Amino acid sequence: MSDNFDHEMSVELAEVAAHRYREGRLTRRGLLTAMAALGVLPAVGFGGRANAAASELVIVNWGGKAADIIKEVLGETYKAETGVDVVIDGSGPSAGRIRAMVESGAVVWDVCDSGPGSAIILGEAGMTQPIDYSIVDRAKLMPGTDWEFGCGNYVYSYVLATNPKLLGDAQPQNWADVFNVKDFPGMRTFRKAVRGQLECATMAQGVALEDVYDVLSTEDGIDAAIDQFRKIRDNVIVWGSGSESQNLFLQEEVSMGNIWSTRAHLLKDEMDEGSFAVSFDGGVMSPGTWVVPKDNPAGSEEAMKFIAFAQAPELQAKWFELIGSAPINPAAASLVPESMAKWNPTSPENVATQILYNDEWYAKNQIAAEEKYVNALIN
Amino acid sequence: MQTDKTRYWLLAAPALAVMIVFYIWPLVNIWAISMTEPALGFGNYVKMTESQAVQTSFVITFRVAALTTVICVLLGYICAYSITNVIRSARPLLIAMVLLPFWVSVLIRSFAWIVLLGRSGLVNDAMRDIGLIDAPMRLMHNEFGVVLAMVHVMLPFAVLPMMANMRGIDRAYTEAARGLGASEFTAFRMVYLPQTLPGVASGALLVFVLSLGFYITPALLGGGRVLMVSEYITYQIQEFLNWGLGTAISVALLVATALVLIVAARFVNLRSALLERS
Repeated sequence: MSDNFDHEMSVELAEVAAHRYREGRLTRRGLLTAMAALGVLPAVGFGGRANAAASELVIVNWGGKAADIIKEVLGETYKAETGVDVVIDGSGPSAGRIRAMVESGAVVWDVCDSGPGSAIILGEAGMTQPIDYSIVDRAKLMPGTDWEFGCGNYVYSYVLATNPKLLGDAQPQNWADVFNVKDFPGMRTFRKAVRGQLECATMAQGVALEDVYDVLSTEDGIDAAIDQFRKIRDNVIVWGSGSESQNLFLQEEVSMGNIWSTRAHLLKDEMDEGSFAVSFDGGVMSPGTWVVPKDNPAGSEEAMKFIAFAQAPELQAKWFELIGSAPINPAAASLVPESMAKWNPTSPENVATQILYNDEWYAKNQIAAEEKYVNALIN
Repeated sequence: MQTDKTRYWLLAAPALAVMIVFYIWPLVNIWAISMTEPALGFGNYVKMTESQAVQTSFVITFRVAALTTVICVLLGYICAYSITNVIRSARPLLIAMVLLPFWVSVLIRSFAWIVLLGRSGLVNDAMRDIGLIDAPMRLMHNEFGVVLAMVHVMLPFAVLPMMANMRGIDRAYTEAARGLGASEFTAFRMVYLPQTLPGVASGALLVFVLSLGFYITPALLGGGRVLMVSEYITYQIQEFLNWGLGTAISVALLVATALVLIVAARFVNLRSALLERS
C-alpha cells in the first residue's frame, strides 16, 4: 500500500536529474549516483531482451503496486484481446536511462511511463519516437497533454486536503483561507519543494487560475508567493515523501494541507467518516506521460497500439479506482462510480477548477525558487 | 625491531585499507565534486556564503547543538555525580540504565518521541484527560521537540566521560576540606568541581561535535522548520539533485567542526578528553 506512490517522487526526482544532466549541471557520474540514491538504477542490464519476439511488449514504470495494477488492468486485458504478451518492468524509466539505452543501441523497452518534462527533453534529443496520432486518439486525451513525443497516460493533482473534524467551525474553502492563519487556525502541511506549492500561494492572493503562471513568471510574482509561506510558517509542517503527508493527516498533526491526490485517495479510506475532505478548487494537475524509445523492440506500431488500447475509458476508470491515478481520457469520468467521482482529479467538475502543471516554468525558475522557499520557511 | 614494526603495520593494514577505500577516498571525492560541479572553481562556496538559507541553517545547527550540550552537561553531571557518589548500592543498575538507550537505534527512539509528543500523542492526551490543557500543546515539529529528543540521545555521551572522571577522584580531598571547616557546598565548589572539569569538557565536546552533524532526530521531529545543516545537505542532493552545493555545504560543516575542535584544544587537552577515557 505504501510503496505505490513513491514512484511519483522518483518520477519527479528523476526528471530533475535528467534535466540537470541535459543542462550539463550534473555529470554522468552524478546522474548515476543520484539514480542509485533514488533506487531507480537499472536492475537489469541493457540488451538482455534486445531480440525479444514481436509477440511481446515491454511496459516500464516505477514499480511498486502501480506495476501490479498496470499488469492487471492493462496487461492481461491487452493479451486477451491481441494475444501479445505484456511484460511489466518496474525498474524506473528515467530519462537518463532511456537515453543511455537508446544511445547504446540495445533498446529493450517499448512503452515507458515518463513525465511531460522528460518527454519533451527526450524528444528534442531524438531519443524517443513521435506519437502516431492516427493510432492514438487525441480526443481521448486531456487537452494539452498531446505532445509530439509523448502523450498523457494518467493524472495526479496537488489538492487542498482538510480534516473537517479538527477544523470545527472554521473550514477553509480555498487557498486564501489556508493562508489565513488568523481566521483558520491549525497546522498546515506543504511539500518540502516548490512543485505544486507556489501555484496555490499565488491563487491565495486572488489571482485567477489562468493567470497563475503569468504572475509567477516575474520575480515579484515568485517573491509574493514565497511571502505567503513566510507569513504562516509557524503553522507549517512540511512533507518530503507522499507517505509523510499521509502520516501527518493520519496522526492528526495537521488539519489542512497541499498533498497529492493519490495520497488523498488512500486517506479517504483510512480516515474516519467526516475527518477527511478534498477540494480540487485551485488544484494543480500533473500528467504522467507515455513515451516510446527510438527503435523499440516490438516496433513503433505495436507500441502505439498499446497506448491507444490503454486509452479505453473503462480501463482508465478501473485504473483510477484501484490506485488513484486519474483518467487522462475525459470520457472515463462518467464511468467512475458515483461515490468516487468527487475524488477524481479529472472529473469535469474538478478539471474546471484546476490548472495544468507547467513544466516550462519549472525548467526556468525552479532552482531559484527552491532556495527562496526554504529560506522563507526557516529564516 | 624493523620486522616488529612491519608486523604491526600488517595487522593494521586491513582496517586501514577499509578506511581509505570506503572513507577517505569518498571524502576526497566529495571535496572534488564541490569544486567541479557544475563548473570548476569555488562557485559553490561563493553561492553557499551568499545563501541566506545556508547561513540560517548553520545558525540553527550551532544553536541546537549548544542548547543540547548545555542541557546534557547539566543533567549528565547530576546523573554522574549521583551514580558515583550517592547511590552506590544501585550503581550497576543505574549504569545499565544509562547504557540501555545505546542499544536501541536512534531511529526507533525518535519515532518513540513522535508517539509521545504528537498532537494526539500520549503526553497531550494524558494532559487533556486530567484537565490540565484544553487544546493540544505544540511539543514537536519545533526546536523544543528536537532539543528534547536530542538530549535523550546524547545524554549517555555526557554521562559516561564525566562518570569515568569522577570515579578517579579520591573522596579524601572533599573530606579533608570538610574537616578543615568548609561547608558542604564550599567543599564541592572549591575542591570537587575543579577536579571534574576535565570530564565535563570531554563530555561537552563529545556531545557538541556529535550534535553538529546530527541528522535523524531533527529530520523527524523538526517538521522542516528546524533545518539543521545535515538535513539541508540531504535536501540539496535528494530533492534538488544539486550535488555541487550539497557537497560544498558538507565540506563547510566538516571545516566548522574541525574549527570547534581547534578552538577547544586551546582550553582542553583533546587527547585526554576524546581518546583516553579511564
